[in-house]
Order: sequence, then C-alpha cells, then structure tokens
Amino acid sequence: MSFSAEQRETSLLDRIGTRRMLDAYVVGVAFLEGGVLAAALGDGRVAFVGGASADASRFVSVHDGACLSLAADLGGERVLTGGDDGLLASTDTAGETTAVANVAGRWVEPIAVSVASGLRAAAFGKTVRLFTRDDSAVGTFDHPNTVGGLAFDPKGRRLATAHYGGASLWWTKAGGQQPKRLAWSGSHLSLTWSPDGKYIVTAMQQNELHGWRVADGADMRMSGYPAKVRSMTWLPRGRYLATSGAEPVVCWPFHGKDGPMGKAPLDLGWGFAGVVTVVAAHPRHDVVAAGYEDGATILVQIDRAHPVLVKQPGEGAVTALAWSADGQHLALGTESGFVGRVRLSDWRAPT
Amino acid sequence: MNQIPVTVLTGYLGAGKTTLLNRILTEQHGKKYAVVVNEFGEIGIDNDLVVNADEEVFEMNNGCICCTVRGDLIRILGGLMKRQGSFDGILIETTGLADPAPVAQTFFVDEEVRRRTSLDSIVTVVDARHVVQRLGDSHEALEQIAFADVVLLNKTDLVTAEELTQVEKRIRSINATAIIHHTLRCEVDLDAVLGRRAFDLERILAIEPNFLSEDDHQHDDAVKSVCLRTDRPLDGARLTEWLQSLLAKRGQDLLRTKGILSIAGQDKQFVVQAVHMLMEGNFTKSWSPKENRESRLVFIGRNIDESELRRQFDACIA
Ligand SMILES: [Zn+2]
Ligand SMILES: [Zn+2]
Repeated sequence: MSFSAEQRETSLLDRIGTRRMLDAYVVGVAFLEGGVLAAALGDGRVAFVGGASADASRFVSVHDGACLSLAADLGGERVLTGGDDGLLASTDTAGETTAVANVAGRWVEPIAVSVASGLRAAAFGKTVRLFTRDDSAVGTFDHPNTVGGLAFDPKGRRLATAHYGGASLWWTKAGGQQPKRLAWSGSHLSLTWSPDGKYIVTAMQQNELHGWRVADGADMRMSGYPAKVRSMTWLPRGRYLATSGAEPVVCWPFHGKDGPMGKAPLDLGWGFAGVVTVVAAHPRHDVVAAGYEDGATILVQIDRAHPVLVKQPGEGAVTALAWSADGQHLALGTESGFVGRVRLSDWRAPT
Repeated sequence: MNQIPVTVLTGYLGAGKTTLLNRILTEQHGKKYAVVVNEFGEIGIDNDLVVNADEEVFEMNNGCICCTVRGDLIRILGGLMKRQGSFDGILIETTGLADPAPVAQTFFVDEEVRRRTSLDSIVTVVDARHVVQRLGDSHEALEQIAFADVVLLNKTDLVTAEELTQVEKRIRSINATAIIHHTLRCEVDLDAVLGRRAFDLERILAIEPNFLSEDDHQHDDAVKSVCLRTDRPLDGARLTEWLQSLLAKRGQDLLRTKGILSIAGQDKQFVVQAVHMLMEGNFTKSWSPKENRESRLVFIGRNIDESELRRQFDACIA
C-alpha cells in the first residue's frame, strides 16, 4: 500500500465501502466466518451484517441491558458477548444464543478467547471464570478488586489479569493456585499480552501504560498521554504496540532486547484531528487502523508519512475497529450506532 | 453528547435515604433514572436500571491520603454511557459509612466522567433525632454534612421545636452554604433535590449564605465554614497562586472550597470549586452592570484559622 495527499479528499468508505446505522452505541465489532460482521450494541442487541446476502442484517436481543464486550468465539462462527446483566453469551449468526454463564448483579466486561487452548475467559467483577468450548467451567480466579482487563498468553497456558495495584498471572490448567502478582501502584484498566509472549502491558487510570517483562518482572513505564489509553494493538510479530489516547497513533517499539525502554515511540497519523479512541493492527502488514473522537478513521503505515482516510469525521467517536483474519476487510463502529466496512482488495492504491 | 446530571445521596443508615430514593423513582416526573446502589444498601428499590457498586476507593498515585477516587464509579459511569438515551439522570446512593470525598473527587479527576456527566448535587439525609449524637461519634457523618449541597433534616416529628433549632444550628455551623429542608418522611418537592446544578455554584452562592453569628462554644470535631467577602476586585494571579498553595498545603483539612470571585480587569465571574486538593476554576457568565461585584469565597473544613485566611484573602485584593 502507499498513500498520497489526494486520498484525503474522499474516504475509502465513500468510494468502496458499505454503511449501516444500528441505532445504538457500538461496543465492539468482529468478523466471523463467511465474512459476516458481528456488532455488539449498547442496547443489548447483537447485530450480524453482511455475509452471503450482503445487504441483510439480523438483530438478536442477547442482553437485558447493555453489551459491554465482544469477541469472535471459538470456531469463528459465533460471537461471545458480556453484558451488564451478568450474562456471558455465545450467539450464532442464525440468532441462536446460549448462556455460557450468568451471575446476577455482576457486570461481565473483559472477555478473551484463546484459539490455541480452546479456552474462554470472562471477568464477573472480581472473579474471572474460565470455560471450555462446551461451556464447562474449568477455573475460578478471585481477585481483591474488580478485574479491568484480561488476556491469554499466545499458547493459552497462562492468563493475565489487570486490577487495582497491578496484574496477576494465573496458570489456566492448575486449581487452587496463588497467582504471580506483578505489583505497580495505581488502577490498571486493561491489559494485553504480546504475541511473542514476552511482555504484558496495562493501560492505567492516570493516562499511562505500564509494562512488565514476563521472564523477570522488569517494569517499564510508558507515559506522556493526554488521555486515557482505551485501546492497544500489536503489530505483526509484536514489533510495535500501537495505542490510542493521543493525537498521533503512538507506537512503542518492542523488537529490541529491552522492549521500549530508553526508546522514543513512533508518532503516526495526522496528529491534529483530536484524540485517537481506537486502534487495530492489520494482521499481516505494518498498518494500523485508527479511529478518532470526531469519528474520522485512517490507515497509517510504519515508515510512511501520509495516512489514508477511511472515514470522514461525523457520527460520533469511533468506538470499535476490527480486521478480518485475512486482512482484506476492515470494519468500524461509532458511539451513535454507525457501522461501516471496507473491502481493501477492492482498492487499488496509486503507485 | 449531552452531559448527564448525577445526584449523590448520602446519609446514615436509617436516616431515610432509601425512602428519598424511592420517592424520586416513583413520583410522576416523566424522567428515567439509572440508580447506582451500594452492595450493603437497604433493599427494595423499584427501578428498571439498578447497578450494584462495591465502593472501591482508589488512591490517585500522588502519595496523598486525601486524594482518592471511586474506581468502580468510573467504570460504572463509563458502562452506563453505552446505554445512551435510555435514562435522563443518574442517582448514586452511598453507604452510610462512606466519606463523600472520593465520589466528589471522581467528578474532578476522570476526564471521561467529566465530559459525559455533571455532578448536580450532593444530597445528605439526616435523622433529626440522632444526628447530633452521630456527629459526635462518626467522622463520616460530619463529612456527609460538610459535603452536602442540600440537607434533608428528616424525621422532624421525633424532636421538639427547640431541639430542631439546635440541630439546624449545628448543621449550619458545619456547612454554611447547604440548603436545609425539614421533612417528615423525606417529603420534599423533588425540584429541591434534583436539577439543582449546585455544583455550578452560582445559584448556591447567589443565595445569601445563612451565617450564624459568632459560635459560642467549641466542638471536638471543629468542622466549620468560613465565608470571606470583599467588594473590591481581586488580583487574578495572586488569588490563583494563593489558592493553589493553600490547597496543596491544607487540602486534607479543607473539605470543600467554593467561590464566585470578581477579578480586576475581567468582565466575567471567576467560579472556583474544590474538593480537598482538587481545584477547578473557570470564568463563567459576565457580571451584570447592575450587580454589586461582590466576591464570596467559602471554605468548609477542619482546623481553619479564620483570621489567617481572611488576611491572606485580603492580600489578594488588587
Ligand atoms: Zn490529597
Ligand atoms: Zn456550636
């Protein structure tokens, strides 16, 4: 791909995209098998858009309240959602929903799916529960505070959780264990595990990131954000961690021996369009999709100066972004219920 | 996106907080509320949208014990924003044992909470018969009154008229700017509780704070209000510098600071709000030409040396 200034004039969405209004806050989007796009909404519905009949959309009322999180479920044909009704649900594109677990009075916010181990994890307040493919509960991990974020390691053998005071590392196959605590004072709101398994990074209440090297627990601070980092994404092979929370897309280098320590991050994108709210890395190339608080969305490439405009400003802040597994399709959602998708193979970049 | 008004209800167990909450929810006002209750709350709240909070109080990483926020509230308010359009306001009930400071500070500290919501007022329900005793044995009861924008002096039928006067005097000595309503079973016009925009301040300081004459006796707790006034314009730079250093040094004792100030060379009112050390100041509406540009600054706190504050305030006169 390459980029030129003229491309800012019309967006990819205007030229080769499709759009839909779903009339509720878009909490998350994910591509399923067959090119169906799933969207979890703030009114408790899950929407399936496109696929075989490109214009069809199906709405399923899943949660009695708001959806809080979404992930493609194991097998890629269902979507896993957590809600503020205490329900963790798995829904297929035909609209069939099964309750994986239900804990009344708890919010089910961070969820994670490990294809490698066939496990799914969800936080019900202070308790993280682990489920197999057939919805059997195979683990319960209690924490002193509410769990804000969780992630599996690349093989799904370990699970990391973020909470007030730091992070905890659990083995997914052991019962009755004490977690390994990674302490760092403050409130840790979300967490990601690098694709090479070497690093854990949390986003904190006070507008900074905190990282640990898993091998020795070495700390790393990544600060300087004007806003809370709501979204983190690893570029292919974990070479960079791209983040929201600033006007540029801030990318921390993780390919050296000591991760980002002592190095400056790369600032990509315009740097003048307000704060980036969501980021999503392309699965194969060093390209990041970034959505802004004004609704604009761009593609930026490491080492390239000019971004490509995916979506013009409007429709409220971008709240969700996802690539299809093959990197051919990009989808986005906003707080006002706008959903758009672009098939990038339809786009011929000027050379 | 509009800012959603938030009302915080505080008060000791048994004072009538839940009665008030249910009155707000059942009265025909055509408004829908999301209710955030504490996990030890009295049961029986009849509402579609009830969220359980676990009152997780977090330190803010600056090493200061008074700088705390409600981590659970940040998360809950963020989650409720995903249900945009399904409610008109948010009511937060706190436990009887809760210090209101972390709740109020949450609205100062978290950028997203500030953008999406506005703290409308803190309403404290007190039991006319027991409040004086509570003030003697409970730090939290004192803080709840000190933080209140509105006090419902409830169960007034259980005390004599003379006792009621004494109780009200006592509340006044702690918090000179709160609006006090006398109620039997929290029967108060809901306009007196909701939509107060008390944190906007203009309204509350525009009403003449009802100050007592010199207090005749000392209290162990010594939480009191001090109101400073002047008709002469203030020097903006000196005032800001003074307030910042005062709150940095004395913020743990200064529970609330509120002021509407006339700054030399400025047409607009300078409005100041602080909870402990966290201060926010903005130029708001213009002084009207007919208006007497009187600056008023109120401190509510412990160990306040009134004459020293007055001397420092006077030193800010331009
Ligand atoms: Zn402090
Ligand atoms: Zn007295």
